[in-house]
Amino acid sequence: MKIIKGRVWILIDEQGRLIEDIDTDQIYHNAYLHITDISQMGQYALGNLKGYEDFPLKVGQGDIIIAGRNFGAGSSRQQAVDCFLALKIGAIIAPSFSPIYWRNAINSGLAVLRCHHLNDLVSNHRLESGDILEVNVHSGEAFNITKKIAFSIEPMSPVQLAIYLAGNLFAYGRQMVRQG
Amino acid sequence: MGKTLSEKILSLKAGREVKANEVVTVSPDFVLSHDNSAAIIQEFRQIGLKKVAAPEKIVIVLDHVVPAASEKHALNHKIIREFVEEQKLPHFFDIEAGVCHQVFCEQGFALPGLLITGSDSHTTTYGAFGAMAIGIGRTEMASIWATDEIWLRVPETIKFNLKGKLQPGVMSKDVILRLIGDLGAEGANYKAVEFAGEAVASLSMESRMVMTNMAAEMGAKNGYFEPDALCLEWLRGRARKEFEVIYSDPDANYEAIYEYDLSSLEPQVACPHSVDNVKKVNEVAGTSFNQALLGTCTNGRLEDLEMAVRILKGKRINRRIRMLVLPASRQVYLEALKRGWLEILAEAGAVILNPGCGPCLGAHMGVLAPGEVALSTANRNFKGRMGSRDSAIYLASPATVAASALEGQIVDPRSYL
Repeated sequence: MKIIKGRVWILIDEQGRLIEDIDTDQIYHNAYLHITDISQMGQYALGNLKGYEDFPLKVGQGDIIIAGRNFGAGSSRQQAVDCFLALKIGAIIAPSFSPIYWRNAINSGLAVLRCHHLNDLVSNHRLESGDILEVNVHSGEAFNITKKIAFSIEPMSPVQLAIYLAGNLFAYGRQMVRQG
Repeated sequence: MGKTLSEKILSLKAGREVKANEVVTVSPDFVLSHDNSAAIIQEFRQIGLKKVAAPEKIVIVLDHVVPAASEKHALNHKIIREFVEEQKLPHFFDIEAGVCHQVFCEQGFALPGLLITGSDSHTTTYGAFGAMAIGIGRTEMASIWATDEIWLRVPETIKFNLKGKLQPGVMSKDVILRLIGDLGAEGANYKAVEFAGEAVASLSMESRMVMTNMAAEMGAKNGYFEPDALCLEWLRGRARKEFEVIYSDPDANYEAIYEYDLSSLEPQVACPHSVDNVKKVNEVAGTSFNQALLGTCTNGRLEDLEMAVRILKGKRINRRIRMLVLPASRQVYLEALKRGWLEILAEAGAVILNPGCGPCLGAHMGVLAPGEVALSTANRNFKGRMGSRDSAIYLASPATVAASALEGQIVDPRSYL
Protein backbone atom coordinates (compact mmCIF):
# COMPACT_ATOMS: atom_id res chain seq x y z
CA MET A 1 0.00 0.00 0.00
CA LYS A 2 1.50 3.33 -1.08
CA ILE A 3 0.75 6.36 1.04
CA ILE A 4 2.18 9.72 0.01
CA LYS A 5 2.80 12.04 2.94
CA GLY A 6 4.19 15.51 2.71
CA ARG A 7 4.06 19.19 3.44
CA VAL A 8 1.62 21.12 1.29
CA TRP A 9 2.54 23.97 -1.08
CA ILE A 10 -0.49 25.70 -2.48
CA LEU A 11 0.06 27.74 -5.63
CA ILE A 12 -2.25 30.72 -5.15
CA ASP A 13 -2.44 34.18 -6.65
CA GLU A 14 -2.53 37.51 -4.80
CA GLN A 15 -6.27 37.06 -4.16
CA GLY A 16 -5.67 33.69 -2.54
CA ARG A 17 -7.17 31.71 -5.44
CA LEU A 18 -5.60 28.58 -6.89
CA ILE A 19 -3.65 29.56 -10.00
CA GLU A 20 -5.18 27.96 -13.09
CA ASP A 21 -3.56 27.11 -16.44
CA ILE A 22 -0.03 27.12 -15.02
CA ASP A 23 1.73 26.50 -18.32
CA THR A 24 4.97 24.81 -19.21
CA ASP A 25 6.73 28.14 -19.71
CA GLN A 26 5.88 29.17 -16.15
CA ILE A 27 6.99 25.77 -14.84
CA TYR A 28 10.19 25.51 -16.84
CA HIS A 29 11.28 28.34 -19.09
CA ASN A 30 12.57 27.92 -22.62
CA ALA A 31 15.89 29.43 -21.69
CA TYR A 32 16.91 26.19 -19.97
CA LEU A 33 15.61 23.62 -22.46
CA HIS A 34 19.11 22.72 -23.64
CA ILE A 35 19.86 21.14 -20.25
CA THR A 36 19.70 17.33 -20.46
CA ASP A 37 20.92 16.49 -16.92
CA ILE A 38 17.78 16.15 -14.76
CA SER A 39 19.66 16.93 -11.54
CA GLN A 40 20.34 20.42 -12.96
CA MET A 41 16.67 21.17 -13.66
CA GLY A 42 15.30 21.55 -10.14
CA GLN A 43 16.70 25.04 -9.67
CA TYR A 44 14.47 26.35 -12.49
CA ALA A 45 11.16 24.84 -11.32
CA LEU A 46 8.35 27.43 -11.34
CA GLY A 47 11.02 30.02 -12.05
CA ASN A 48 8.67 31.91 -14.31
CA LEU A 49 5.58 31.78 -12.08
CA LYS A 50 4.94 35.12 -10.42
CA GLY A 51 5.47 34.92 -6.68
CA TYR A 52 7.16 31.52 -6.80
CA GLU A 53 10.52 32.37 -8.35
CA ASP A 54 12.33 31.18 -5.20
CA PHE A 55 10.29 27.98 -4.92
CA PRO A 56 13.27 25.61 -5.51
CA LEU A 57 15.15 27.19 -2.60
CA LYS A 58 12.27 26.77 -0.15
CA VAL A 59 10.67 23.49 -1.15
CA GLY A 60 11.58 20.29 0.66
CA GLN A 61 11.89 16.69 -0.39
CA GLY A 62 8.49 14.95 -0.44
CA ASP A 63 6.49 18.19 -0.45
CA ILE A 64 3.10 18.10 -2.19
CA ILE A 65 2.14 20.81 -4.70
CA ILE A 66 -1.50 21.90 -4.97
CA ALA A 67 -2.45 23.84 -8.11
CA GLY A 68 -5.46 25.05 -10.10
CA ARG A 69 -7.08 23.38 -13.08
CA ASN A 70 -5.25 22.56 -16.33
CA PHE A 71 -1.81 22.33 -14.73
CA GLY A 72 0.98 21.87 -17.26
CA ALA A 73 -0.78 23.43 -20.25
CA GLY A 74 1.22 23.84 -23.42
CA SER A 75 4.49 22.36 -24.51
CA SER A 76 5.38 18.67 -24.41
CA ARG A 77 8.72 19.56 -22.80
CA GLN A 78 9.36 16.95 -20.18
CA GLN A 79 11.68 19.25 -18.27
CA ALA A 80 8.47 20.63 -16.77
CA VAL A 81 8.06 17.25 -15.07
CA ASP A 82 11.75 16.51 -14.55
CA CYS A 83 12.33 19.69 -12.58
CA PHE A 84 9.92 18.40 -9.90
CA LEU A 85 11.54 14.95 -9.95
CA ALA A 86 14.88 16.68 -9.38
CA LEU A 87 13.41 18.41 -6.30
CA LYS A 88 11.93 15.07 -5.18
CA ILE A 89 8.40 16.48 -5.02
CA GLY A 90 6.02 13.91 -3.50
CA ALA A 91 2.98 14.65 -5.62
CA ILE A 92 1.14 17.32 -7.58
CA ILE A 93 -2.60 17.57 -7.00
CA ALA A 94 -4.87 19.68 -9.22
CA PRO A 95 -8.48 19.58 -10.45
CA SER A 96 -7.15 18.75 -13.93
CA PHE A 97 -3.93 18.49 -15.90
CA SER A 98 -3.14 19.14 -19.53
CA PRO A 99 -3.09 15.80 -21.39
CA ILE A 100 0.56 15.69 -22.45
CA TYR A 101 1.73 16.81 -19.02
CA TRP A 102 -0.44 14.14 -17.44
CA ARG A 103 1.15 11.38 -19.53
CA ASN A 104 4.66 12.74 -19.10
CA ALA A 105 4.25 12.79 -15.34
CA ILE A 106 2.78 9.29 -15.18
CA ASN A 107 5.51 7.89 -17.41
CA SER A 108 8.21 9.57 -15.35
CA GLY A 109 6.86 8.25 -12.08
CA LEU A 110 5.80 11.65 -10.73
CA ALA A 111 2.58 11.26 -8.75
CA VAL A 112 -0.09 13.45 -10.37
CA LEU A 113 -3.53 13.27 -8.80
CA ARG A 114 -6.85 14.87 -9.65
CA CYS A 115 -9.12 16.38 -7.04
CA HIS A 116 -12.21 18.23 -8.23
CA HIS A 117 -13.02 20.06 -5.01
CA LEU A 118 -9.62 21.63 -4.41
CA ASN A 119 -10.97 25.13 -4.99
CA ASP A 120 -13.48 24.71 -2.16
CA LEU A 121 -10.91 23.17 0.18
CA VAL A 122 -8.50 26.03 -0.40
CA SER A 123 -11.02 28.89 -0.32
CA ASN A 124 -12.49 27.52 2.92
CA HIS A 125 -9.01 27.24 4.45
CA ARG A 126 -9.43 23.52 4.93
CA LEU A 127 -6.14 23.03 3.12
CA GLU A 128 -3.31 25.54 3.55
CA SER A 129 0.35 25.79 2.71
CA GLY A 130 2.43 24.12 5.40
CA ASP A 131 -0.24 21.54 6.33
CA ILE A 132 0.86 17.93 6.39
CA LEU A 133 -1.18 15.86 3.96
CA GLU A 134 -1.47 12.12 3.57
CA VAL A 135 -2.83 10.53 0.37
CA ASN A 136 -3.64 6.91 -0.36
CA VAL A 137 -3.08 6.62 -4.11
CA HIS A 138 -4.95 3.30 -4.29
CA SER A 139 -8.18 4.40 -2.65
CA GLY A 140 -8.07 8.14 -3.19
CA GLU A 141 -8.48 8.85 0.51
CA ALA A 142 -6.74 12.04 1.55
CA PHE A 143 -6.25 13.30 5.10
CA ASN A 144 -5.04 16.71 6.20
CA ILE A 145 -3.17 15.65 9.34
CA THR A 146 -2.59 19.21 10.53
CA LYS A 147 -6.27 20.17 10.42
CA LYS A 148 -7.70 16.67 10.86
CA ILE A 149 -9.85 16.96 7.74
CA ALA A 150 -10.52 14.04 5.40
CA PHE A 151 -11.39 14.45 1.72
CA SER A 152 -11.23 12.39 -1.42
CA ILE A 153 -9.19 12.54 -4.58
CA GLU A 154 -9.40 10.44 -7.76
CA PRO A 155 -7.43 7.25 -7.14
CA MET A 156 -4.76 6.38 -9.68
CA SER A 157 -5.94 4.30 -12.64
CA PRO A 158 -4.53 0.74 -12.80
CA VAL A 159 -1.99 1.66 -15.52
CA GLN A 160 -0.90 4.80 -13.71
CA LEU A 161 -0.60 2.97 -10.41
CA ALA A 162 1.44 0.17 -11.94
CA ILE A 163 3.87 2.60 -13.59
CA TYR A 164 4.10 4.70 -10.43
CA LEU A 165 4.79 1.71 -8.17
CA ALA A 166 7.40 0.38 -10.61
CA GLY A 167 9.14 3.77 -10.59
CA ASN A 168 8.60 4.90 -14.18
CA LEU A 169 7.60 3.65 -17.62
CA PHE A 170 10.91 1.87 -18.25
CA ALA A 171 10.98 0.10 -14.89
CA TYR A 172 7.38 -0.93 -15.56
CA GLY A 173 8.37 -2.21 -19.01
CA ARG A 174 11.20 -4.25 -17.53
CA GLN A 175 8.78 -5.79 -15.02
CA MET A 176 6.47 -6.72 -17.88
CA VAL A 177 9.36 -8.36 -19.75
CA ARG A 178 10.41 -10.34 -16.66
CA GLN A 179 6.88 -11.56 -16.12
CA GLY A 180 6.82 -12.61 -19.78
CA MET B 1 -23.65 3.49 -33.69
CA GLY B 2 -20.80 4.37 -36.05
CA LYS B 3 -17.26 5.40 -35.27
CA THR B 4 -15.24 8.57 -35.41
CA LEU B 5 -12.04 8.84 -37.42
CA SER B 6 -9.96 8.39 -34.25
CA GLU B 7 -11.91 5.30 -33.21
CA LYS B 8 -11.49 3.81 -36.67
CA ILE B 9 -7.76 4.47 -36.95
CA LEU B 10 -7.10 3.05 -33.48
CA SER B 11 -9.37 0.04 -34.19
CA LEU B 12 -7.34 -0.73 -37.32
CA LYS B 13 -4.09 -0.32 -35.41
CA ALA B 14 -5.23 -2.38 -32.43
CA GLY B 15 -6.66 -5.13 -34.63
CA ARG B 16 -9.97 -5.06 -32.80
CA GLU B 17 -13.01 -2.80 -32.64
CA VAL B 18 -12.50 -0.08 -30.04
CA LYS B 19 -14.58 2.85 -28.86
CA ALA B 20 -13.85 6.05 -26.95
CA ASN B 21 -12.31 5.62 -23.50
CA GLU B 22 -10.80 2.19 -24.17
CA VAL B 23 -7.04 1.83 -23.82
CA VAL B 24 -5.10 0.32 -26.71
CA THR B 25 -1.47 -0.60 -27.28
CA VAL B 26 -0.57 0.31 -30.85
CA SER B 27 2.35 0.82 -33.19
CA PRO B 28 2.60 4.29 -34.79
CA ASP B 29 3.36 4.73 -38.51
CA PHE B 30 5.84 7.58 -38.03
CA VAL B 31 7.33 9.24 -34.97
CA LEU B 32 8.73 12.77 -34.97
CA SER B 33 11.26 14.44 -32.72
CA HIS B 34 13.40 17.58 -33.02
CA ASP B 35 16.27 19.06 -31.00
CA ASN B 36 14.88 17.20 -28.00
CA SER B 37 16.15 14.04 -29.69
CA ALA B 38 19.34 14.63 -27.68
CA ALA B 39 17.43 14.03 -24.45
CA ILE B 40 15.50 11.13 -26.00
CA ILE B 41 18.80 9.53 -27.02
CA GLN B 42 19.99 9.85 -23.43
CA GLU B 43 16.87 8.02 -22.20
CA PHE B 44 17.10 5.43 -24.97
CA ARG B 45 20.69 4.65 -23.94
CA GLN B 46 19.54 4.08 -20.36
CA ILE B 47 17.16 1.36 -21.52
CA GLY B 48 20.24 -0.54 -22.62
CA LEU B 49 19.20 -1.51 -26.15
CA LYS B 50 21.72 -1.31 -28.98
CA LYS B 51 19.27 -0.65 -31.83
CA VAL B 52 16.02 1.25 -32.24
CA ALA B 53 13.09 -1.02 -33.06
CA ALA B 54 11.93 0.65 -36.29
CA PRO B 55 14.48 3.09 -37.78
CA GLU B 56 12.35 3.66 -40.89
CA LYS B 57 9.59 5.20 -38.76
CA ILE B 58 11.78 7.77 -37.00
CA VAL B 59 11.75 11.30 -38.41
CA ILE B 60 14.11 13.84 -36.84
CA VAL B 61 14.14 17.51 -37.80
CA LEU B 62 16.51 19.99 -36.16
CA ASP B 63 14.55 23.22 -35.80
CA HIS B 64 14.29 24.60 -32.29
CA VAL B 65 17.62 26.38 -32.04
CA VAL B 66 19.13 26.47 -35.52
CA PRO B 67 21.88 27.24 -36.24
CA ALA B 68 23.09 26.40 -32.73
CA ALA B 69 23.04 29.45 -30.46
CA SER B 70 25.49 28.14 -27.88
CA GLU B 71 28.02 25.40 -27.30
CA LYS B 72 25.44 23.33 -25.41
CA HIS B 73 22.96 23.55 -28.30
CA ALA B 74 25.75 22.65 -30.72
CA LEU B 75 26.65 19.63 -28.60
CA ASN B 76 23.03 18.46 -28.58
CA HIS B 77 22.92 18.71 -32.38
CA LYS B 78 26.19 16.79 -32.64
CA ILE B 79 24.89 14.00 -30.39
CA ILE B 80 21.81 13.72 -32.63
CA ARG B 81 23.81 13.61 -35.88
CA GLU B 82 26.06 10.90 -34.47
CA PHE B 83 23.06 8.86 -33.34
CA VAL B 84 21.42 9.21 -36.77
CA GLU B 85 24.62 7.89 -38.33
CA GLU B 86 25.02 5.07 -35.82
CA GLN B 87 21.41 3.87 -36.09
CA LYS B 88 21.22 4.45 -39.86
CA LEU B 89 18.08 6.56 -39.51
CA PRO B 90 16.86 7.35 -43.03
CA HIS B 91 14.69 10.38 -42.26
CA PHE B 92 16.95 13.05 -40.80
CA PHE B 93 16.61 16.73 -41.65
CA ASP B 94 19.41 19.01 -40.51
CA ILE B 95 19.29 22.71 -39.67
CA GLU B 96 18.55 23.90 -43.19
CA ALA B 97 15.17 22.14 -43.56
CA GLY B 98 12.82 24.25 -41.43
CA VAL B 99 10.25 23.78 -38.69
CA CYS B 100 9.55 20.10 -38.06
CA HIS B 101 5.79 20.30 -38.57
CA GLN B 102 6.07 21.99 -41.95
CA VAL B 103 8.92 19.74 -43.07
CA PHE B 104 7.06 16.61 -41.94
CA CYS B 105 4.06 17.56 -44.11
CA GLU B 106 6.03 18.79 -47.14
CA GLN B 107 8.06 15.61 -47.12
CA GLY B 108 4.94 13.45 -47.29
CA PHE B 109 4.97 11.81 -43.85
CA ALA B 110 1.62 13.30 -42.82
CA LEU B 111 -0.90 11.08 -44.59
CA PRO B 112 -4.56 10.12 -44.24
CA GLY B 113 -5.33 7.29 -41.85
CA LEU B 114 -1.87 7.17 -40.29
CA LEU B 115 -1.14 7.17 -36.57
CA ILE B 116 1.67 9.59 -35.85
CA THR B 117 3.21 10.55 -32.53
CA GLY B 118 5.65 13.39 -32.03
CA SER B 119 7.56 14.69 -29.04
CA ASP B 120 6.21 18.16 -29.65
CA SER B 121 2.81 19.43 -28.62
CA HIS B 122 1.99 20.82 -32.07
CA THR B 123 2.25 17.39 -33.69
CA THR B 124 -1.53 17.76 -33.96
CA THR B 125 -0.81 19.70 -37.19
CA TYR B 126 -0.80 16.51 -39.31
CA GLY B 127 -4.50 15.99 -38.70
CA ALA B 128 -4.97 18.50 -41.54
CA PHE B 129 -4.33 15.50 -43.80
CA GLY B 130 -6.67 13.12 -41.98
CA ALA B 131 -3.97 11.52 -39.83
CA MET B 132 -4.34 10.89 -36.12
CA ALA B 133 -1.38 12.86 -34.81
CA ILE B 134 -0.61 13.11 -31.12
CA GLY B 135 1.97 15.01 -29.07
CA ILE B 136 3.85 13.00 -26.46
CA GLY B 137 6.84 13.48 -24.16
CA ARG B 138 10.45 12.45 -24.21
CA THR B 139 10.18 9.28 -22.13
CA GLU B 140 7.38 7.93 -24.29
CA MET B 141 9.37 8.68 -27.42
CA ALA B 142 12.38 6.79 -26.06
CA SER B 143 10.01 3.97 -25.20
CA ILE B 144 8.61 3.92 -28.77
CA TRP B 145 12.12 3.93 -30.23
CA ALA B 146 12.78 0.87 -28.08
CA THR B 147 9.52 -1.06 -28.46
CA ASP B 148 7.68 0.39 -31.50
CA GLU B 149 4.59 0.60 -29.30
CA ILE B 150 2.61 3.10 -27.25
CA TRP B 151 -0.48 2.88 -25.08
CA LEU B 152 -3.23 5.35 -25.89
CA ARG B 153 -6.69 6.06 -24.60
CA VAL B 154 -9.18 6.30 -27.45
CA PRO B 155 -10.42 9.90 -27.29
CA GLU B 156 -13.97 11.19 -27.35
CA THR B 157 -14.57 13.66 -30.18
CA ILE B 158 -15.83 17.22 -30.33
CA LYS B 159 -17.02 18.36 -33.74
CA PHE B 160 -16.97 21.89 -35.13
CA ASN B 161 -19.42 22.34 -37.98
CA LEU B 162 -18.18 25.30 -39.99
CA LYS B 163 -20.32 27.02 -42.59
CA GLY B 164 -20.13 30.22 -44.59
CA LYS B 165 -17.11 31.87 -46.19
CA LEU B 166 -14.47 34.05 -44.55
CA GLN B 167 -14.44 37.73 -45.44
CA PRO B 168 -11.32 39.06 -47.21
CA GLY B 169 -8.64 39.71 -44.59
CA VAL B 170 -10.10 37.18 -42.17
CA MET B 171 -8.05 34.00 -42.01
CA SER B 172 -8.26 30.50 -40.58
CA LYS B 173 -6.12 31.78 -37.70
CA ASP B 174 -9.05 34.00 -36.71
CA VAL B 175 -11.34 30.96 -36.80
CA ILE B 176 -9.19 28.80 -34.55
CA LEU B 177 -8.56 31.67 -32.13
CA ARG B 178 -12.33 32.18 -31.83
CA LEU B 179 -12.91 28.45 -31.21
CA ILE B 180 -10.20 28.35 -28.54
CA GLY B 181 -11.60 31.48 -26.94
CA ASP B 182 -15.05 29.91 -26.78
CA LEU B 183 -14.02 26.42 -25.69
CA GLY B 184 -11.18 27.44 -23.35
CA ALA B 185 -7.58 26.29 -23.00
CA GLU B 186 -8.65 22.97 -21.54
CA GLY B 187 -11.95 22.72 -23.41
CA ALA B 188 -10.85 19.71 -25.43
CA ASN B 189 -8.47 18.11 -22.91
CA TYR B 190 -7.72 14.47 -23.80
CA LYS B 191 -10.21 14.70 -26.69
CA ALA B 192 -10.16 14.71 -30.48
CA VAL B 193 -11.56 17.68 -32.38
CA GLU B 194 -13.01 17.31 -35.87
CA PHE B 195 -13.21 20.36 -38.14
CA ALA B 196 -16.04 19.75 -40.57
CA GLY B 197 -18.86 21.40 -42.48
CA GLU B 198 -19.37 23.07 -45.85
CA ALA B 199 -16.83 25.82 -45.12
CA VAL B 200 -13.94 23.36 -45.09
CA ALA B 201 -13.88 23.10 -48.88
CA SER B 202 -12.99 26.80 -49.11
CA LEU B 203 -10.01 26.45 -46.75
CA SER B 204 -6.61 25.76 -48.32
CA MET B 205 -4.45 22.96 -46.89
CA GLU B 206 -2.22 25.67 -45.41
CA SER B 207 -5.23 27.21 -43.68
CA ARG B 208 -6.29 23.83 -42.33
CA MET B 209 -2.81 23.22 -40.93
CA VAL B 210 -3.14 26.41 -38.89
CA MET B 211 -6.24 25.02 -37.20
CA THR B 212 -4.96 21.52 -36.48
CA ASN B 213 -1.69 23.04 -35.26
CA MET B 214 -3.59 25.09 -32.70
CA ALA B 215 -5.98 22.30 -31.67
CA ALA B 216 -3.25 21.64 -29.10
CA GLU B 217 -4.10 25.00 -27.52
CA MET B 218 -7.54 23.78 -26.48
CA GLY B 219 -5.92 20.72 -24.93
CA ALA B 220 -6.86 18.36 -27.75
CA LYS B 221 -5.11 15.01 -28.11
CA ASN B 222 -5.57 15.29 -31.87
CA GLY B 223 -7.40 17.54 -34.30
CA TYR B 224 -8.28 16.72 -37.89
CA PHE B 225 -10.04 17.45 -41.14
CA GLU B 226 -11.37 14.61 -43.24
CA PRO B 227 -9.36 14.35 -46.47
CA ASP B 228 -11.03 15.79 -49.58
CA ALA B 229 -9.95 16.23 -53.20
CA LEU B 230 -7.83 19.26 -52.31
CA CYS B 231 -6.00 17.25 -49.65
CA LEU B 232 -5.32 14.32 -51.97
CA GLU B 233 -4.11 16.69 -54.67
CA TRP B 234 -1.70 18.31 -52.17
CA LEU B 235 -0.31 14.88 -51.31
CA ARG B 236 0.22 13.83 -54.92
CA GLY B 237 3.92 13.23 -55.49
CA ARG B 238 4.73 13.71 -51.82
CA ALA B 239 3.29 10.67 -50.04
CA ARG B 240 6.02 8.50 -48.54
CA LYS B 241 3.90 5.39 -48.29
CA GLU B 242 0.59 3.87 -49.26
CA PHE B 243 -2.33 5.12 -47.25
CA GLU B 244 -6.00 4.47 -46.80
CA VAL B 245 -8.34 7.42 -46.39
CA ILE B 246 -10.41 7.13 -43.22
CA TYR B 247 -13.58 9.10 -42.57
CA SER B 248 -15.84 9.36 -39.54
CA ASP B 249 -19.06 7.40 -39.96
CA PRO B 250 -22.16 9.58 -40.56
CA ASP B 251 -23.70 8.16 -37.37
CA ALA B 252 -20.52 8.48 -35.29
CA ASN B 253 -20.91 9.49 -31.69
CA TYR B 254 -19.72 13.00 -30.84
CA GLU B 255 -19.42 14.31 -27.32
CA ALA B 256 -20.49 17.74 -28.54
CA ILE B 257 -21.16 19.48 -31.85
CA TYR B 258 -20.69 23.24 -32.20
CA GLU B 259 -21.95 25.25 -35.17
CA TYR B 260 -20.08 28.29 -36.52
CA ASP B 261 -20.87 30.68 -39.35
CA LEU B 262 -17.55 31.97 -40.67
CA SER B 263 -19.06 34.70 -42.83
CA SER B 264 -19.71 36.96 -39.85
CA LEU B 265 -16.35 36.34 -38.16
CA GLU B 266 -14.16 39.38 -37.47
CA PRO B 267 -10.37 39.29 -37.05
CA GLN B 268 -9.43 37.98 -33.59
CA VAL B 269 -6.54 38.42 -31.17
CA ALA B 270 -5.41 36.25 -28.26
CA CYS B 271 -4.36 38.67 -25.53
CA PRO B 272 -1.70 38.07 -22.86
CA HIS B 273 -1.08 35.62 -21.23
CA SER B 274 -3.24 32.72 -22.38
CA VAL B 275 -4.35 31.55 -25.80
CA ASP B 276 -8.00 31.45 -24.74
CA ASN B 277 -8.01 35.15 -23.79
CA VAL B 278 -9.46 35.96 -27.20
CA LYS B 279 -10.97 39.30 -28.23
CA LYS B 280 -12.01 40.90 -31.50
CA VAL B 281 -9.16 42.93 -32.99
CA ASN B 282 -11.36 46.00 -32.77
CA GLU B 283 -11.59 45.62 -28.99
CA VAL B 284 -7.81 46.00 -28.65
CA ALA B 285 -7.21 48.28 -31.64
CA GLY B 286 -4.65 50.94 -30.84
CA THR B 287 -2.59 48.73 -28.55
CA SER B 288 1.08 49.45 -29.17
CA PHE B 289 3.80 46.83 -29.39
CA ASN B 290 7.52 46.51 -30.08
CA GLN B 291 8.04 43.43 -32.18
CA ALA B 292 6.01 41.79 -34.94
CA LEU B 293 6.63 38.13 -35.73
CA LEU B 294 5.34 36.68 -38.99
CA GLY B 295 5.99 32.98 -39.44
CA THR B 296 6.43 29.81 -37.33
CA CYS B 297 4.79 26.39 -37.71
CA THR B 298 1.44 28.10 -37.28
CA ASN B 299 1.59 30.83 -39.93
CA GLY B 300 4.87 30.70 -41.83
CA ARG B 301 3.57 29.27 -45.09
CA LEU B 302 3.29 30.83 -48.54
CA GLU B 303 -0.27 32.08 -48.17
CA ASP B 304 0.74 33.77 -44.92
CA LEU B 305 3.73 35.51 -46.49
CA GLU B 306 1.59 36.43 -49.49
CA MET B 307 -0.93 38.11 -47.23
CA ALA B 308 1.83 40.21 -45.66
CA VAL B 309 3.25 41.03 -49.08
CA ARG B 310 -0.14 42.29 -50.27
CA ILE B 311 -0.34 44.60 -47.28
CA LEU B 312 3.30 45.75 -47.13
CA LYS B 313 4.31 45.97 -50.79
CA GLY B 314 5.89 49.34 -51.54
CA LYS B 315 5.34 50.53 -47.98
CA ARG B 316 7.54 50.95 -44.93
CA ILE B 317 6.58 49.43 -41.56
CA ASN B 318 6.38 51.79 -38.62
CA ARG B 319 9.86 52.82 -37.46
CA ARG B 320 9.13 51.87 -33.86
CA ILE B 321 8.39 48.27 -34.83
CA ARG B 322 10.94 45.50 -35.30
CA MET B 323 9.43 42.99 -37.69
CA LEU B 324 10.77 39.44 -37.96
CA VAL B 325 9.80 37.11 -40.79
CA LEU B 326 10.35 33.42 -40.12
CA PRO B 327 9.35 31.21 -43.06
CA ALA B 328 8.23 27.75 -41.93
CA SER B 329 10.64 25.82 -44.11
CA ARG B 330 13.39 25.97 -46.69
CA GLN B 331 10.84 25.15 -49.41
CA VAL B 332 8.68 28.09 -48.33
CA TYR B 333 11.75 30.32 -48.07
CA LEU B 334 12.99 29.41 -51.55
CA GLU B 335 9.61 29.85 -53.16
CA ALA B 336 9.08 33.21 -51.46
CA LEU B 337 12.57 34.20 -52.62
CA LYS B 338 11.82 33.27 -56.23
CA ARG B 339 8.56 35.17 -56.18
CA GLY B 340 10.33 38.27 -54.89
CA TRP B 341 8.32 38.30 -51.67
CA LEU B 342 11.31 38.27 -49.33
CA GLU B 343 12.64 41.31 -51.15
CA ILE B 344 9.34 43.13 -50.73
CA LEU B 345 9.23 42.29 -47.02
CA ALA B 346 12.87 43.25 -46.48
CA GLU B 347 12.31 46.53 -48.30
CA ALA B 348 9.37 47.19 -46.03
CA GLY B 349 11.81 46.95 -43.12
CA ALA B 350 11.40 43.35 -41.98
CA VAL B 351 14.29 41.15 -40.87
CA ILE B 352 14.19 37.81 -42.73
CA LEU B 353 15.27 34.93 -40.48
CA ASN B 354 16.23 31.42 -41.48
CA PRO B 355 13.43 28.84 -41.11
CA GLY B 356 13.24 27.46 -37.58
CA CYS B 357 11.54 28.01 -34.23
CA GLY B 358 13.90 30.66 -32.79
CA PRO B 359 11.95 33.65 -31.48
CA CYS B 360 8.62 31.82 -31.06
CA LEU B 361 9.94 30.06 -28.01
CA GLY B 362 12.34 32.75 -26.89
CA ALA B 363 15.31 30.56 -27.72
CA HIS B 364 17.28 33.08 -29.76
CA MET B 365 16.92 35.62 -32.58
CA GLY B 366 14.51 38.23 -31.30
CA VAL B 367 14.16 37.67 -27.58
CA LEU B 368 11.98 40.25 -25.79
CA ALA B 369 13.26 42.67 -23.12
CA PRO B 370 11.37 43.37 -19.86
CA GLY B 371 8.24 45.40 -20.53
CA GLU B 372 8.21 44.69 -24.26
CA VAL B 373 5.21 43.46 -26.21
CA ALA B 374 5.12 41.22 -29.28
CA LEU B 375 2.36 40.75 -31.85
CA SER B 376 2.91 37.32 -33.32
CA THR B 377 1.38 34.83 -35.73
CA ALA B 378 2.59 31.94 -33.52
CA ASN B 379 0.41 29.63 -31.46
CA ARG B 380 1.31 30.37 -27.87
CA ASN B 381 1.40 33.52 -25.74
CA PHE B 382 2.33 32.17 -22.33
CA LYS B 383 3.90 34.72 -20.04
CA GLY B 384 7.56 35.16 -20.83
CA ARG B 385 7.57 32.65 -23.67
CA MET B 386 9.43 34.93 -26.07
CA GLY B 387 11.97 36.21 -23.57
CA SER B 388 11.75 38.24 -20.38
CA ARG B 389 9.15 37.06 -17.89
CA ASP B 390 7.90 40.64 -17.89
CA SER B 391 7.12 40.69 -21.59
CA ALA B 392 3.77 40.04 -23.23
CA ILE B 393 2.52 38.46 -26.45
CA TYR B 394 -0.59 39.03 -28.58
CA LEU B 395 -1.43 36.37 -31.15
CA ALA B 396 -3.14 37.18 -34.45
CA SER B 397 -3.34 36.33 -38.14
CA PRO B 398 -0.65 37.26 -40.68
CA ALA B 399 -3.00 39.93 -42.05
CA THR B 400 -3.44 41.53 -38.65
CA VAL B 401 0.28 41.35 -37.86
CA ALA B 402 1.30 42.90 -41.21
CA ALA B 403 -1.25 45.73 -41.09
CA SER B 404 -0.43 46.43 -37.45
CA ALA B 405 3.32 46.52 -38.16
CA LEU B 406 2.60 49.15 -40.79
CA GLU B 407 0.69 51.31 -38.30
CA GLY B 408 2.75 50.65 -35.17
CA GLN B 409 -0.36 49.61 -33.30
CA ILE B 410 -2.90 46.81 -33.47
CA VAL B 411 -5.39 47.44 -36.30
CA ASP B 412 -8.15 45.60 -38.13
CA PRO B 413 -6.51 44.45 -41.40
CA ARG B 414 -9.67 44.38 -43.50
CA SER B 415 -9.31 47.91 -44.79
CA TYR B 416 -5.73 47.28 -45.92
CA LEU B 417 -6.65 44.74 -48.61
